[in-house]
This record gives sequence, C-alpha cells and structure tokens, in this order.
Amino acid sequence: MSAIAQGNAAVIVPPLAKSPGYWAGVWRRFKTDKVAVGAGLVVLAIILMAIFADYIAPADPTRSSMLRRLRPIGTPGYPLGADELGRDMLSRLIFGARLSLFMGVVPVFIAFIIGSVIGVAAGFFGGKFNTITMRTVDVFYAFPSVLLAIALSGALGAGITNSLLSLTIVFIPPIARIAESVTTQVRSMDYVEAARASGANALTIIRVHVLGNVLGPIFVYATSLISVSMILASGLSFLGLGTKPPTPEWGLMLNTLRTAIYVQPWVAALPGAAIFITSISFNLLSDGLRSAMDVKG
Amino acid sequence: MTLQTHPDRGGPGTPLLQAKTLTKHFPLGGGAVVRAVDGVDFAVMKGETLGVVGESGCGKSTTARVVMQLIPQDKGDMLFDGEIVGGQALTLKEYRRQAQMVFQDSYASLNPRLTIEDSIAFGPTVHGVSKANAILKARDLLQRVGLDPARFAARYPHELSGGQRQRVNIARALALGPRLVILDEAVSALDKSVEAQVLNLLADLREEFGLTYIFISHDLNVVRFISDRVMVMYLGEVVEIGPVEELYDDPRHPYTKALLSAMPSMDPDNRTMEAPLAGDPPNPINPPEGCRFHPRCPHAQTVCAKVKPILATVGEGARQVACHMQVPGSGHSHAPALEVAA
Repeated sequence: MSAIAQGNAAVIVPPLAKSPGYWAGVWRRFKTDKVAVGAGLVVLAIILMAIFADYIAPADPTRSSMLRRLRPIGTPGYPLGADELGRDMLSRLIFGARLSLFMGVVPVFIAFIIGSVIGVAAGFFGGKFNTITMRTVDVFYAFPSVLLAIALSGALGAGITNSLLSLTIVFIPPIARIAESVTTQVRSMDYVEAARASGANALTIIRVHVLGNVLGPIFVYATSLISVSMILASGLSFLGLGTKPPTPEWGLMLNTLRTAIYVQPWVAALPGAAIFITSISFNLLSDGLRSAMDVKG
Repeated sequence: MTLQTHPDRGGPGTPLLQAKTLTKHFPLGGGAVVRAVDGVDFAVMKGETLGVVGESGCGKSTTARVVMQLIPQDKGDMLFDGEIVGGQALTLKEYRRQAQMVFQDSYASLNPRLTIEDSIAFGPTVHGVSKANAILKARDLLQRVGLDPARFAARYPHELSGGQRQRVNIARALALGPRLVILDEAVSALDKSVEAQVLNLLADLREEFGLTYIFISHDLNVVRFISDRVMVMYLGEVVEIGPVEELYDDPRHPYTKALLSAMPSMDPDNRTMEAPLAGDPPNPINPPEGCRFHPRCPHAQTVCAKVKPILATVGEGARQVACHMQVPGSGHSHAPALEVAA
C-alpha cells in the first residue's frame, strides 16, 4: 500500500479537467433569475454611486443657501430640489449613500464573523456548551431588534462608532442561531462521521468539511440583514443617536426634512425612497442567491 | 512523508479485533435508557469477513459505530491485534488508521463541496501525508475501485451515480491503508446489478489488500455470499455466531431459524411454508426479562422468561448459541440430556 505514495515532497500532480463545480452551477441558476439579477445591478449601481460620489454629485452636499430653501423637484440647478437649508438634494442623496451603505454593511459583516464563530462552535461541539452558548445568545434575541439598538445606542451615547457597535450586537444573535442550526445539520452528516473516523481533529473537520457547507447559507441570511441594518441605522439617526448634522445620511435627512412634509412632500420623501430601494434590492438579491444555492444532487 | 504499513503482531489465525462485553446505552431522560448494544462479545479473525445480521433496531449499526469509536462504549473493551483500543500502545488516532468504515448513504458520506479526489485524499493528509502525495494515492485508489481517475477525480459527488459514489467511499476508506473495514449496509442502497458489482469489488479488494471485513446487512443472501462467519443480533445481544454455511444450513437459535425462513425462496416448488415471525421486536427501552426473544419464540417455556441464556459454544466449537434449548440441564424440555458422568 505505502509503495503507492512513495516519493518526495516535490511530487507534481498533473491537473485534470475540472468539472464545472458548485459555484458555476450557482451562477448559472442565478443568471436565469431576472429579478435577482436586476436587484444585483441596482445594488452595484448604488455601491458605485457611493464610491464615486465626489465625481458624480453636481454640487457640494453641505453648501447651504437660505434663499433656495425647499425648492421643488426639477428646479434649475436642483434636479431633485433643495432641502430645508437649501442644499442640493441630489448631491446629498449621492453622498448619503456612503454612510447609509456603510451602516448597512459593516455591522452585518462584523456580526457575520462573530455570529458564525459562536454558532458554528455551538453547533459542532453540541451538548452543554451548545446549551450555555445559545441560551446566552437567546437573552439578546428576546429583545425586539429596534428596541435593543436604541437602548444600546442610548446607553453608549450618540455617534457613528456607537451605533455601529450597537447594531453589531443586535445582529450577532440571529446570525449565531442560523449558524448553529445549519452546523447541527451538517455535523450529523456521514461525511463528518467519516472525517472523524479518519482521525482528524475538530478544527480540521470544521475547516475542511463544515465551513464550506455552512458559510453559504449563513452568508445569504446575513445579506438579508443588510437592509434591516440600514433601516435601523437610519432610525438611530432619525432619533438623533447616529450621525450628526450636517453629514448627509439618509435616515438623518428623513428626520430633518419631516418638518417640511406639508411644504415639499416629494422632496421630503426622497431619502425614504432611497432607503426603500436599497433595502429591497439587497433583499431580492439575497433571495435570488438563496434559491440559486439551494440545490440537491 | 508517507503512511507506514502496520506490522502484523499476532500472526495469521489470531483475532484482529476482539470485543468484550461491549455495551452502549442511550439515556432518554427520565431514567429510561435504550439498551442499543448490551454486552456484545465477538471476535473477528484476520482476513475473514464477519457478517452481522438482524432486524432493524437490533443494534447492528450502533455496534459498528462503537467498534469504529465514533461513539464511546459505556462498558467493555476492544482489543485490536492484541492491543487495547484507545490505550497507551494503540491511540485512538492510530487505531483509526487501521480501522475504517463505509456508510450506507453514499451521498451523505461525501462532502458535496469537495471533489472526489479531495475527499479520498483528506484522510492521508490528516496523518501527515503531503497533499500532492495524497492526491496521487487517491487517483491510484480510484483506478483500483474501477473509476478512471482522468474522468472522475475532479468531479463532485452529485455528478456520480450511487454505485460510483459507493466506490468512491470504499476508496476513501482504503486511503489510510486500514486492516479492518466496517461496511455498514454499504451495498443496501444500491440497485441489484450494481450491488453485485460492488460486492465483487469488495471481495477482490479483500484479497488484494489483505483486509478484514465486518459486513453489516439486513440482506441474508448478500451476507451469505460475502461472509466467512455470521453473527446474528437480536435486541442489542448476540444470539448466534457460526461459520456461514453451517449457520445457514442448520440454524440453532429459534430467531436465526425464523430469520432464515423469512428469506424469499428462489424455487417456487420449495416455497416457505412456515409462518413468519409475528410482531415487532420488543422495545429496547424495557427489554423482556430472561431470554429477550421469548415473547416471540414458538418454543418458549418457563425457564426462558426467567433465566437469561448465555452465549455458549455448541458442537464442534465454531458455533456459539444463546438458547436454553442448546444447553444441557438448562431446564428447557428440548434441551439435550445431561451427560451423566461415568
């Protein structure tokens, strides 16, 4: 038997024609889902808009003009009108995408990492460790997410860092729960048993056999939380717990423009529309990803 | 680094694996326990195939998992080639190089995200073989189990048929160069034609690599084909062990008789006329007192409900049966007469 594997470390393994593989299949199914592709393009456009805001925005988002307050949509020089301080709405919406996306993606990403570690560990090791970990997580899960975010932000004080922190804490429990349930399923599969039977330790099994099969579903779920995070962040700003004026951020803009809702309703509704479009695009994208990744055989 | 072969310590004709009063109870909460495996004794000789048969829920698979040490036993010891499994001389990791397992569900036992050569190469890399060497070995094994590496090595499990996947699982089990392979219903989920091919492959591999098999199945014909000796289990206990032909031709335990008579006959002129075994096996949570088979046994007498029969050697020495009818002086009216000392 051992003669087969004789040779030094510098053995060159001839490459074989790779089969299309799993991700090629995911992409092939994803492409046929027109709604998801459309949503993906919208998300991409918003991300590009945020990155290149300096080049796209027609005006300085913080330059105010007392003479041109609350101009309607279509005013020359103000394609989407002007806000309560006479600032260009279009430019503010474009620049606002930066912070809003940041507040949507970053807390979810950090929570994705921490929640996955907690959930995968709890699911894989099971037993008492699982019970203790998951019941602790459940304590946080018991609070409505909005309430928890507001309570944490309120306790920590206003500011971007603190709202980032509180949103991260809000998202760890749901991600950890998903991670735990997916891992528990994978753990009982025969290929994990077979890996244990080959003498591999827990970390190796998790790295090779568990992560590849659980990160996909967890990631898709996390994507669906981006929109929630954006809305919560906007809510925090709206309550004065997040971003401070004059920084453009969609939630904050919604807050400051609400007094003008009877004067310029269309202008006042624009930040809300931006939040809506972005969050629904993220949701549709994650739905599409989930159905594209959900295959058997 | 490559895997070393394991020296044979006891020499041929000695047991490769000895299980002594192996016991596994699963607690259910509230004090109830499922006695899945209850004091099982058996030995597997080097180079032989031990078939294990029994109804669903009789503890076949739990026995396999305990032997593979996927779940620890509550009581009992296992000796592998004379060394205690999990002891100083034979660590669990070392034991796992020498004993491997093939599962029933060929799809669930392969990681869907790994190519099959990566799946096969995983075991050797765990034991320190370089990735490149492990891949080469995986391709060699694919060739030996009848799959062309050029066509199959880089494929994913869902692109293979059930029979092909089970060949991959066999190759994966062999990648560590084991001496004992536990086949837990390994061919049960396959089509009949594919099953025959895989059985022949298993027989060939046993010759080629000098393997010892524990072959678990509910299919009595398959067990007869591949086994040298057969162990019959009922409700977590061994009721009869013996050489395959002897046991099939002359079953001694009433349960073995019932099991064999339930086999569909291949000859319409020689139909099975006996009534099949009635009822389900009793609950392993509260197994019956005395002989566990007595509530379903046509020959049950008072002694059977009171005294638990032990697995005793019968006849020439190769047969062991746990039945009062085989033990002289047991108190059962069918028991052979006691030999009166001259």
